Amino acid sequence: MNVHDLNSARPQLPPKPRNPMPVWVAATLAMLWLIVWDLEISFETLAYGVEDMAEYFSRYRQPDFSDLSRYLELMGITLATALWGTVFALLVAFFLAPLAARNFAPNPLAYRIARETLNFMRAMPDLLLALIFVAALGLGPLPGALALGVHTTGFLGKFLAESLERVDKGVCEGVASTGADFPQMVMYAGWPSILREALGYVLYILDRNVRMASVLGLVGAGGIGLALHDTLRLFNYGQSAALILVILATILIIDYASAWLRGRLG
Amino acid sequence: MSTISIQSVSKCYQNGFEALKNVNTEIHSGSFTVVLGPSGAGKSTLLRLINGLETPTTGAVRIGGEAVEEHKLRHIRSRVAMVFQQFNLVDRLSVVTNVLTGRLAQRSWVGSVLYLFRGEDMAIAQRVLARVGLTDKAWSRADKLSGGQQQRVGIARALAQQPKVILADEPVASLDPVSSEEIMTLLREICDRDGITVVVNLHQVELAKRFADRVIGMNGGRVVFDGPPAELSQQTLRTIYQREGIEDDNSLDLALAYA
Repeated sequence: MNVHDLNSARPQLPPKPRNPMPVWVAATLAMLWLIVWDLEISFETLAYGVEDMAEYFSRYRQPDFSDLSRYLELMGITLATALWGTVFALLVAFFLAPLAARNFAPNPLAYRIARETLNFMRAMPDLLLALIFVAALGLGPLPGALALGVHTTGFLGKFLAESLERVDKGVCEGVASTGADFPQMVMYAGWPSILREALGYVLYILDRNVRMASVLGLVGAGGIGLALHDTLRLFNYGQSAALILVILATILIIDYASAWLRGRLG
Repeated sequence: MSTISIQSVSKCYQNGFEALKNVNTEIHSGSFTVVLGPSGAGKSTLLRLINGLETPTTGAVRIGGEAVEEHKLRHIRSRVAMVFQQFNLVDRLSVVTNVLTGRLAQRSWVGSVLYLFRGEDMAIAQRVLARVGLTDKAWSRADKLSGGQQQRVGIARALAQQPKVILADEPVASLDPVSSEEIMTLLREICDRDGITVVVNLHQVELAKRFADRVIGMNGGRVVFDGPPAELSQQTLRTIYQREGIEDDNSLDLALAYA
């Protein structure tokens, strides 16, 4: 038997499906190049600017921790703002998410309304919300917490709704087959099944809110961000560096703590 | 009375698959019926129609004279319990909470969403758990149990509903032979002692012969056999399990040789 016979005996495979990958890669590269060209982004400026940037960053070399106790207190206020924002988001999302999950929603209208509400909340940037609330409620942590709460409700609600949509169909049918109604379905088939995932999302939102709360201080929503804003404007690089380090350390601690907590909840 | 009557029911799924083609049958109160048939014959669909998990495209399902309709589902389901192949328990909840799920239809959502149950519901849960022999596992998480134990929790949940009918959709398909035997014995005993109508989908002809009062054979969405298990001859089994377009089916012969 020669090679030719082997080939003729080979069973024919069905036609190979087309792989569109090269087209996508080429299109993406072309778009990136067009953007550089259109916005006249110059990489030369970046190259020449490295030296200037190095000089600027070197001014932060000596952090000034002389006022540390005040910084920690300010960090505490920022943390409290982030925590309240997260709690607000969790409370609202707890009620909106089941309505925004296709498999749990009692009717299509409720589903649409809940979805669009969450989309709207997500679409409002928290910096903008903070500006509005500061104007309406005055300076301080409260407008910050509200702004974070409204904006992250949109995110948390969407994440939780999508988790709920992934609940095993069988488990839903198991509870539904007993004659459970909408709130009972949510409390028995829904939340218990996604508890672990939900905790992960809440911790992620908390983490994000701590970072964001530090920035919100810049628009007058209190906390460590306001202090950073002031020291930066006074060109007080030492104190600015100390504040940035305090924020960084806090975020690292929260990151590790939430990883640990998620690991614990098996 | 809780006679199940299925009146010229057809079911066509959205993808165009015709699961049931004009099925007519009555299942008498207090009987033990086994539905046999190859995969895709419409066994599951038939059972799910009775509990209202599916709605018929044409025809009607009645239980004790009451039509299974969208707005009466909670009431119907409270009397028609379901046991599943994959148990369909809530993994993260305790065994006893899973059993108490069977009481939800009787209670408003106000207390039950906080996992608060009345003493009488707890008493029912305790009794049915003892009945399936899982009292000592009451506080274990449902997913920590073996397959056979999980299916007994499934049956306990059904019993907690204090139903007139229990529908079991391939309840032993994922279990080993010993657990299968336990589960079938339990279902048979529930039928005999409590007078609950039991309808079971099975793949095991041998179990059907031993446990059923009546066997309904289905193929291609139609009822092709209906009678006592004693009438299940090789010829009728061939009719039930025959495959379309295959004349000399060696696999069929071999499969039925020891059935």
